[in-house]
Formats: sequence, C-alpha cells, structure tokens
Amino acid sequence: MLPITNAIQNLREQGKPCGAEALREAGALCDSKRLRIKDEYLARVLAGEEYLLFDGAMGTMLQGAGLAAGELPELLCLTNPQEVTAIHRAYVEAGSQAVTTNTFGANARKLGDAARVDEVFKAAVECVRASGARYVAADIGPTGALLEPLGTLPFDEAYDLFAEQVRAAAAAGADIILIETMADLLEMKAAVLAAKENCNLPVFATMTFEEDGRTFLGTSPRIAAMTLAALGVQALGVNCSLGPAELLPIVREMAAAASCPIMVQANAGLPKMVDGHTVYEVTPESYARDAAALIEAGASIVGGCCGTSPAYISQLSALVERHRPVPRDVRALCGVTSANRAVVLEGRDVAVIGERINPTGKKRLKEALRTGNVDYILNEAIGQTEAGADILDVNAGLPELDEAAVLCDLVGRIQSVTGCPLQIDSSDPAAVEAAVRVYAGKPIVNSVNGKRENLEAVLPVVKHYGCAVIGLTLDENGIPPTAEERFAIAERIVRTAESYGIPREDVFIDCLVMAAATNQSEVVEILRAITMCKERLGVRTVLGVSNVSFGLPLREVVNATFLSAAFAAGLDMPILNPNSARYREAVDSWRVLCGQDAGARHYVEEYAGRTLSPSSAPAGASGAAGGAQAGSAQPGGAAGSAASGVAPSASNATAEANADPESQLRHCIVSGRRAQAADAVRTLLAMHDPMDIIDAMLIPALDEVGDKFERGTFFLPQLMASAEAAKPGFDVIREAAPADATATKGELALATVKGDIHDIGKNIVRMLLENYGYKVYDLGRDVDPQAVVDCVRERGLKLVGLSALMTTTVRGMEETIRLLREQTPDVQVFVGGAVLTPEYAQMVGADYYAKDAAESAKLCAKVFGENHGE
Amino acid sequence: MLEEHSASGPAQPVAATKDASGESREVENGTQRALNGAGRLSEAAVAVEGAKVDRGEMLRYLGHAGQEIAPELAARIDGAVELCERTSAPRFSWRTFPVRRGYDDQGKPVLKLEGSTLELPGADISAHLEGATECVVLACTLGLSNEREARRLAAVDATTAALFSAAGSALVETVADMCSADALAAAKERGLTAGSRFSPGYGDLPLSVQPHIVRILGADRRIGMTPTQGGFVVPAKSVTAFMGLFEGPRAAVDRRSCVACPARERCMLRKMGTPCYR
Repeated sequence: MLPITNAIQNLREQGKPCGAEALREAGALCDSKRLRIKDEYLARVLAGEEYLLFDGAMGTMLQGAGLAAGELPELLCLTNPQEVTAIHRAYVEAGSQAVTTNTFGANARKLGDAARVDEVFKAAVECVRASGARYVAADIGPTGALLEPLGTLPFDEAYDLFAEQVRAAAAAGADIILIETMADLLEMKAAVLAAKENCNLPVFATMTFEEDGRTFLGTSPRIAAMTLAALGVQALGVNCSLGPAELLPIVREMAAAASCPIMVQANAGLPKMVDGHTVYEVTPESYARDAAALIEAGASIVGGCCGTSPAYISQLSALVERHRPVPRDVRALCGVTSANRAVVLEGRDVAVIGERINPTGKKRLKEALRTGNVDYILNEAIGQTEAGADILDVNAGLPELDEAAVLCDLVGRIQSVTGCPLQIDSSDPAAVEAAVRVYAGKPIVNSVNGKRENLEAVLPVVKHYGCAVIGLTLDENGIPPTAEERFAIAERIVRTAESYGIPREDVFIDCLVMAAATNQSEVVEILRAITMCKERLGVRTVLGVSNVSFGLPLREVVNATFLSAAFAAGLDMPILNPNSARYREAVDSWRVLCGQDAGARHYVEEYAGRTLSPSSAPAGASGAAGGAQAGSAQPGGAAGSAASGVAPSASNATAEANADPESQLRHCIVSGRRAQAADAVRTLLAMHDPMDIIDAMLIPALDEVGDKFERGTFFLPQLMASAEAAKPGFDVIREAAPADATATKGELALATVKGDIHDIGKNIVRMLLENYGYKVYDLGRDVDPQAVVDCVRERGLKLVGLSALMTTTVRGMEETIRLLREQTPDVQVFVGGAVLTPEYAQMVGADYYAKDAAESAKLCAKVFGENHGE
Repeated sequence: MLEEHSASGPAQPVAATKDASGESREVENGTQRALNGAGRLSEAAVAVEGAKVDRGEMLRYLGHAGQEIAPELAARIDGAVELCERTSAPRFSWRTFPVRRGYDDQGKPVLKLEGSTLELPGADISAHLEGATECVVLACTLGLSNEREARRLAAVDATTAALFSAAGSALVETVADMCSADALAAAKERGLTAGSRFSPGYGDLPLSVQPHIVRILGADRRIGMTPTQGGFVVPAKSVTAFMGLFEGPRAAVDRRSCVACPARERCMLRKMGTPCYR
C-alpha cells in the first residue's frame, strides 16, 4: 500500500498541481487544520493548554464482577450493555471527561467468529455515550500476535486489523482514537498509520514499559516519543506497565523528547491475592500523590490502568480540576531511531553512516541481491555495526530487481539483526515509501534533491511516515560549482520541507563531494558550503566522503584527510565504510577533539597501548576491491594477535607444522580448526589441481567426519565445526581457480514449512550442505507452499529439503509436497525434523527421509551424483 | 549520544521490584518468590534472576553421549552459555484453577478448568491429572532479547547458533522448574502436593491449547509471550504447561518418563540410555 505515491500519481494524471497544499486538500497528507476535533476544550487539550481526565480500569472491574479468564470482555458490550455503561458512568461521576470504550481486544483476529468488529465498536461507543461522558475514546489494543520478522504476523495484516477497527470507531461516532498497551514499536506504527489513513480523529498513542524502562521488544521511552512525535500523533505517553511512582522517569524522558501533550495511565501497582481476591498494592491516596509528580513532570492527559477504580479517578480529578498545565519548553531533538536505539546529535556530535549495503561497484553484494542471499547482506549489516557504524545506509537499486519489494524485505531482516537506525536509499519514491512504511522507528530517507518534481514526490513521504531526509544540493541544472549556489539549493530544500511541516532538525544537507582528481577547485567550495549550511540554515550535514579520492593512489589517506577537514568545517554525518581503520581513527580522534568522547574515555580504551600500523597496502579502498578490503581491515590496533584467529596450543602447532600439508588439512577439518584450513589449502594449491584438493582431500575429510558422527564418535557441534573448517578451504580454491573448475556440486532449496517457526534444524542442514559445496537457497521458516514451488521453478531445482518440528506442522509439509508434485513433478523432496520418521516421510509423499544433517549430505551426494552420471 | 538495547540485551535480568511495605521480597533458590496469600496466582509476572544454564542438560540436547570435547569446542560452549545467560530476561507467570471433568460441545470428555474458558481434550492429560483437585497453568520464557540474538546468530554463525539454542532450551527448563517450585510452595501452604509438568504437544494434548494458555494468563502483556497461527509461541525459548495439585501426599508415581514423548520412537538419547530428563 502506497497512499502517498498513489495520491501524487492521481493528481499528476489529472494534470493538477501536487504540492503540499494539494495533497492536504486531497486528504492524502494529514493536516491538523482538518482534524475532526469535537470542541474547543479538546482543541485546547491538544495544544497543551488544558488537562484531560480519562477513566480507569475496565478489565479489573469486569473480573471483579466474575468474568472468567480467557473470556472476551468486549462481547459484554453486546450482551450486557447496561453493566458496561454502569462502569463507564461510575467513572464519569468520579470526574472522567474522556471514557474509553470496552474494545481493547476487539479486532478480527481476537474476536474470531464471536462477533463482528463494527458491531462491537458500535455497541461499545453507545455504552460510553449512554454514560454521559464528554468524550468517547475508542480503545485499540495490540493484535495479540507478534509482527514479522521475530513473529509471524505480516505488517500489512496488522495494518488491516487496525484499519478495520479505526473505521468502525469513526463510523460509530468516537471522538478520539486511543492506541494503548503497545510493546512493539512497529505494531504501534501500523496502528498509527491505520488511524491517520482511515479517519481524521485525534490519535493518542501510549506504550507499556517493563521494570528496566524498556518495552518487551527493547524500545525506550525516548525512542517511543521521538518516533511517535515524528509520525504526528496528537498525544503520546505510557500506560499500564507499573505503578505511578515507577513511571516518573519514563514520563520525564518522553516529555523531554516530544512537544505534544503527554498521556499517563498507570497501574495501581502490582496485583496480589488476598483471601481469594485480587488486590492492588497502591491505594487511591498514594496513587494521587505519585500522579501529582507525573503531572509536574509534564503529563497533561491522565487516567488509570489495571487495578484503578473510580476511587482513584476522583482523587486524580481533585488534582487537575480548575488547574491549567504549565507550558512546557521542549528543545527540538535532532535524531533518528530504530526500535531499540536512538541516535541523537547534540552540539558538535558526529554520527557515522555505514555505506556498505549499496550494490554500486560491489560485485559480491550485487550477486547476493540477485540470488536472494540475504545472509551475506545481514553479515554486512552486523559487521558494520560491530565496526562502530551508528546508522546504516540500505540500497537495493539493481535494474533487474523489484526494488520496492526487496527493500521492504531487507529493512525487516536487517532490523532484526542490528539496532542501528537505517537510511533508506533509493531514487524511486515508491520504493522509499514501501520501505519506510514497514520500518520500525524513525529512519532517514536518502534522498531528496532541489528538483521540483523530486521535492514534490519525496517530501510528503518523509512527512507522512515521520522520517528525516537527506537533501542533495543539485537541481534541474545539475551540481553547481560554487558554495553559494549549493547553499541556495539547500535553502530551497529546507524551505520546501518546512512547507510540508518537516522541521529543519530533520533535514540533513549533503553538499555533494566531487573527485579532487577531476574537480580540484571544488573541494574547498564543498567545505565552505558545509559551513554556510550549518551556520545560516541551522541544519545538520552529511557527506559521502570517499568520492573525493577517486582516481588517486592510496585513496584511504586522501579520504581520511578530507574527512578531518570536513569535520572541522562542520560535517555531522559522514557516509563511509566503517570497516576502514583509517576512517575509524579519524572519527574516534575527532570525537575527542569536538568533545563528544567525554574525557577521551572511549579513545583511550580503544587505542591505549597500540602502535601506529604501517601505511596500508596499495589496494584501492573502494569500488570493486571493497569486499576484500572489509575483510582484511579488522580492528586496526590489535597488533600483536595475528588476524588468523586463535593460535593452536604449542604442541599441536609443532605437530602440524611437521606434518605434510595434506594430512594437515585433514587434521584441520576433522578437529574443526577453521583458521588453519585456509593456509593448508593455499600451500596445497601450489602443488595440486584445485579439483584434486576438493575431491581427494576436502570431501574425504568431511566424509570421515560424517562417519564419526554416524558411529557416535562425534556429536553435533563437532560435525558442524568440521564443516565450518572446510569452508575457508573451499573459499580459497574458489578465489584461486577458474569458475568452471569449482562450480557448485548442485543446487537445492531448503524451507521450514508453513505453520512452523523452528528453523534451527534446517539451519544446521543448510550450513552443512553449503560447506560441502552445494548451493542452498534458504527460503526461511513458516514458508508458504507456493513460495517453495516458485523457487524450484525459477531456479530449475532438482532437489528440495523440507523441515517440520511438530506433528501439527507435518500437514504443512504434506501440502507443500502435493503442490510440488502438481506444478514441478521432476523435483525430488527430502524431509526431516523432530517428529519425522521414515513412515511419516512416506506418508506425506517425500522421496527421502533424512534423520539428521549428516544424512542429508549423503543424500545430496547420491542425488547429484546420479544427475552427473546422466 | 547513543542509547542502546543491543542484540546482547540487558546485562542483568530485571531488577527485583519491591512489595507494598517497600522491602525487597525474600529470594530463594535464585527465584524471586511471590508472596501470594492464598496462593492462586503468581505475581503478574515474576522476573527471574540468576538462572544458570545446566550444561549437562544442554549437552544432552546436542546429542552428547560422552564424546571427548576438545578445548576449542569447550570454549565455544562456554561462550554460548555466557551469551545465553546474558541475553535472556527470564520471566514466568502461573495461575491455579479447580479441575472439573465434563464434556465438550460434541459430547467428548474434557477437563475443564473452572473460572477459565480452558477445556483440555485427550486421554493423556486426563490421566496425568487423575485425582488432581486443582491445576496450575504456567508459562515461562527467556524473552525476546534471547530470540533476537538467536536470529542474529543464525545469520552469522550456524554452529554457535546451535549451541546457543541448546543452552536456551536448558535454561528455559530451569526457569520452568523455578516456576513449578514457586507454584508448589504456594500449594504446600494450603496442604497440597504437586505432580509433574505436562505441556501441549505431549501425547494427545494438542498444541492448539497453547494460545489459550497465553490468553488466560495474559502472558502476552505479562511476560511478552505471543502465540502464532500454528499454535507455537514466540519467543521460541518458552515453556507452557499444566501441573496437577493433589490433596494429601503423592507417591512418586509420575516421575518423568518417555511414555508420552512424541519423539520416543526415534530418540537417540533414549536408545543410548541417557534420556533427556534427569
């Protein structure tokens, strides 16, 4: 779903203008002026000028009235409306101005066949109306399922569930959409987007935090506040979680990070059983005492959550009645977020943006994108994170790919393995919109430029999804040579962004580096332009550094010098290869000089005791050689310990040194020593044919390990360590030998079947087969049968392996095999998994049963061996 | 500049909260004990501190049956154990319901847990709870920080991922033991004894019961456990189970065994005489 891109396309097709005002007019871009705000008082609440008192718990009251555990309380709106209204009325009498509908779990997933979403919302809104409440807040809780990629619920399905609720709430006449008790920032974002895109009611959004001050998924109050404020909710805050005293630091953190009203609904402490009844430990009086501190900390919309009752609300009422909130002075933050990390720039802080996930000039990444080798990309993400990148650029721009789909998929997967906020990098606004929509947090969009059409296409996406954006100083006339002209474009971008409601803290200007070899006179102009943008526009700046050295020898030296100069000129966020030691040195030392590394603590920790490494080898620092560069540039200073990993014990080393390289290689593999296997193969390559090394040495060693495993002499980790040790051996051969000599031994697909999420077994099999030299297309877990068929067909595969853990998911296996037989009858299927037996395998229609990973390797040898013979 | 909840998760499990009197609760066997009065409910969620991976158990999951472990592998195992303990934030929650025998919509015999919507079908759970007056419903998990680290390892290092997974399986068993002990202690105060745990997926008790357990315990909100369409739960390193409570002393008849295990036919551990239970 791409509401912004589609709206712009519609306007363009009709020959209408499509600037900010036109999009607001068309309803595609939210606009505070068009919000349906019930009355003047509520408008003042949203402006932070009045308090708003909500109600307390509904569930606690219903359980007190005998609701069984596991029952759907929402159905009571239909079956017992008087009782529900009576609870609402008790809150109104205690002083609640806004009363929350009894619809917390009223989504299609949870209601199932019990009731329709719209009828529950209609009845629930009527219950609140009947209580005489001034405002009806339509309550929306979590879906009850965890979103991909950690869970299995797709973002779009979550969105659809929420959208149905929002439409039902608006149709029933609610005044406020209240999204609450969220622990997953991405699920919250799905709900907020559903609210923004399906009604024009004010949206209040609150999350729930644990004792460690984070949600279950690791989101801090500051991250939540920054992200939700950027998404444009009318109020944000915290509910449930803990007692009011424990919420104070959370409210403070949120109030400091967002200027909109802050909402709090605390629990009455923890539940306890006393004489068979659940009681909560915090009394109404102490609740109000602690709530006073929350209000002082900036909360202006207050109520109660689990364990609170009208008695608590009347205490709160006494606090806020006839009082006005003190205006808050919130300093705008410059920063971006992921679900569990915020990168915030203060003063002269700098942040590093990792550039490695961009196929331009990177052969292996291109190959990985084309073949869907996601793990290669994830390893780039993890590697850059470990090398100290703060933000990662993600670009999937290859002409033969569906860029929007690939970018969307990558965003989710990369976010599941790194906490770094991402920078979504594409020249296609549709791909950008698709990716930022499913991004958990506040990302950077890379990029917009000074061309009118581009500004009109990109900025509304940035605004709607609450992003920051990089503005490139180029326009219809190209990149201008002088600082003044670059500045003029930057100024135009900032002004236009502001017309969309994007604050200048969220616009980062890129003054565009030119190569010193070709545009030497421009280099100092770029530095000057950075300073002008920072000083006159008050914006942060980014720069892709390494272009400057293009065409020069020892590029890393030039790059590091330029980076230092750019820092001095005011650069905030260099885009670079964080694996490069020289870059890291420049960044780490600048952070001391600019005061970001307080007391030089990090620098001393990292560099004390190091000696300067000799100048780097003359290999090019970027472009095609980038991959190799990344591998060899491990933490620069660990000078003493060799890059080849842990040294073996002295006696072993001697024994191996004396042995001939062939038995040495065998020994490395059988004993699972990764580091030495590569060296052994290198030695052997001088005397043997590459194919000989594979067929006569590597494979027999692996077979020996397989036998040991089968006999029980080895157990699983030993089998895996051996396979792992063989891999660098294969890699060395592949690098050295012509492609045809080392073509893969065969290609196959692996999948954990639909309905099953346990993939450890499948991963073990994949690892083993890859290290035996097979090409494995890993389709992941919970895989749709059609996706397996599609892969088999696209890649022309002869073999598929399916895994299932539980009896119940064996059905998913059967269904997949049935579909394969139907659509790709030539393919052979082997199956495995905890509950599988040879009989089961036969029953579901598989060709082979593999009882463990070692057997699947044997099986592949058999299948592909036979094929060779044909 | 950075705030981080890294893949490695919180360094320590969540700090103990304080009870109404403002004093920390007693700590016994590493479990933060819930003071339950009548003992029908754990705290909303109990955060477990100091739970350790049982290496013997972990190695059994990996199929270890006495093979010699070289120092290199031993070091990797140590690393995986340490990583698992560091990235886990174990929590558990349990509730007790009276057991009643009845029939479902189709007239088949089921066990009903009074005060909840839960009905337990099948002969095996019925036999397991034979004679029980009440049933503890429990859920335990290592948390999403452990799950996230598992995803990261799956991308970078399959061997460590396998070791980490086995460590997690062992650790969540330990947490389940702590949870059982917590429920048992509360039952003892009322003169009851407890049987062993029985989980959905054992014998003929369907996995589809699991989402209902999440719902009646509020385990999504309380301990961060969510069901999937297939009847599994996320985080993967979680345990849900039923444990019978009995009046009077209980003979040690239902010590753990392979009888109800779905893997018994092909289990290597069983064949080697080193079953997975202790």
